[in-house]
Amino acid sequence: MIQAQSLTKRYGSKTAVDAVDFTVQPGRVTGFLGPNGAGKSTTMRMIVGLDRPTHGSVTVNGKQYREHKAPLREVGVLLDAKAIHTGRSAYNHLLAMAATHSIPASRVKEVIELTGLDSVARKRVGGFSLGMGQRLGIAAALLGDPATLILDEPVNGLDPEGVQWVRHLVRHLAAEGRTIMLSSHLMSEMAVTADHLIVLGRGRVIADAPVAELIGAATRKTVRVRTPYAPELAALFQSADITVTRTEADLLEIVGVTAADIGNQAARAGIALHELTPISASLEEAYMALTQNDVEYRTGGTPDDPAAEHSVADLQESVR
Amino acid sequence: MTTIAPAPVRAFVPSGSGLSFGGELRSEWIKLRTVRSTIWSYATVIVISLGLAALMSASIDLAGREIPAVEQATFLAQPATFGVFFGQLVVAVLGVLAISGEYSTGMIRSSITAVPRRLPMLAAKAVVLFVCTFVVGLISTIGSYLVAAMFLAGKGVTASLADPDLLLPLLGGAVYLALVAVFALGVGAMLRSSAGGIAASLGILLLLPIVLSMIPAQWLADLLPYLISNAGLASFGLNGFTSASFETWQNILIVLGWVAVSLAGAAVLLKRRDA
Repeated sequence: MIQAQSLTKRYGSKTAVDAVDFTVQPGRVTGFLGPNGAGKSTTMRMIVGLDRPTHGSVTVNGKQYREHKAPLREVGVLLDAKAIHTGRSAYNHLLAMAATHSIPASRVKEVIELTGLDSVARKRVGGFSLGMGQRLGIAAALLGDPATLILDEPVNGLDPEGVQWVRHLVRHLAAEGRTIMLSSHLMSEMAVTADHLIVLGRGRVIADAPVAELIGAATRKTVRVRTPYAPELAALFQSADITVTRTEADLLEIVGVTAADIGNQAARAGIALHELTPISASLEEAYMALTQNDVEYRTGGTPDDPAAEHSVADLQESVR
Repeated sequence: MTTIAPAPVRAFVPSGSGLSFGGELRSEWIKLRTVRSTIWSYATVIVISLGLAALMSASIDLAGREIPAVEQATFLAQPATFGVFFGQLVVAVLGVLAISGEYSTGMIRSSITAVPRRLPMLAAKAVVLFVCTFVVGLISTIGSYLVAAMFLAGKGVTASLADPDLLLPLLGGAVYLALVAVFALGVGAMLRSSAGGIAASLGILLLLPIVLSMIPAQWLADLLPYLISNAGLASFGLNGFTSASFETWQNILIVLGWVAVSLAGAAVLLKRRDA
């Protein structure tokens, strides 16, 4: 279990992580999601004591990481593929890491096999591809057979087979009762891997909820209705779990009712409809919407999609 | 935040051996011997030392003069330790690389994750570097003695290894090399850059004595014997850029002082800075 309490990191005047509170529970995969620069990596670095929090604290199983007697058995961490001396072979790198905790060489061989590095284990890491470097990083994280696994963008650079392998691995490890925290900036990846999501934007937690709930919220259907009798139609749908937004004089967006229901009720009331279009927000759109105000580096140009804008309200609503 | 899914299984409890200084020493030993720069550096120290001993002892022309028996051991110690003058530059580079290589490649993050208290990692590195460099230094000086003895025996100069006038300089040279490596480790850890660390270390070892001795100011000249390389070389009878003015134990203390300051600076910064 990882617990962060008003965890804050400032670099000069820039606040990378802004008083976040969260708990990562054992026995499930927790996704740490956010756009680039949201503070995911900084938070992970603070968990394992590489960066010192400016304020607040974070503990792993009740203790600060450095207080543990066997840190590598407590937490396995993959921060980035570039945390390995390029002049050393993969095997020797793992052997040196293992030696600190008196982990036997047999375990080094095990993690090499597990990550499929057998054929390159004796080669110098400098010549590794991004994917091989990533596998080596995962092998290092697994060395201590840790109770908590923290993986920063683990599928970065992996081929589709590798992506699937990581997915199965983390699900399997979570099922053994381990705490799994993995970050990604890809919602689609998280949707299939994680059980629980913590969404970070500009250093703050903007959502902390089970994946199923976020998906449910994100996939609530919006129906666009064009009718010359907009106020009359809107009056038919006055209920707590239905929201009606009038975007133009003759255009309504209704959330919480199916297109079929709207059509039926309009017919019963004798209201003519000129358009009836179900709009479904994809998970990706919902995530974009959720984080759009919190993106650090944004590409210019694209006008905001009204559908996405709509679902952000829903998503944030349902998450709170 | 709404519902929290119930944890399906009991939390996994880690087991097995933990951190120990012995393990950290083994780890640093593996790290040191598994990069090429170490092998190259140590091989260079030995080869240069033996080569210089051969060159020096072969070219000594006594012109019929006889070295008194009591001075023969000291005489022989000169070519046997001459290689240390160059060896110190090589082990300084190695000492810097032992830590700056970790910073430049990102390895330091792995190292600190494994030893999150950090200082035991630096201590283990220093111990391993000291011991390995001492052994290599001893191989160099004793090997150089054997080479020099071979050439000088024909010129009527002999000495036994058991003679303290010979053995102490050989040991002293090896200890000095080991201390220089550790000094440079501290410099590398403070600067976190290979280029900067090497420049600073070589500057202090080599350039500083030359520059200070070239400036015609007495107070600068007075500082010369306190420089790490001058005191270190003088401690076993090699005079660098100054005439010896301290006792051996004083010279050793001066070298230890430099090493202590370097390591202390490295320790404070390592503990304080984000990795």
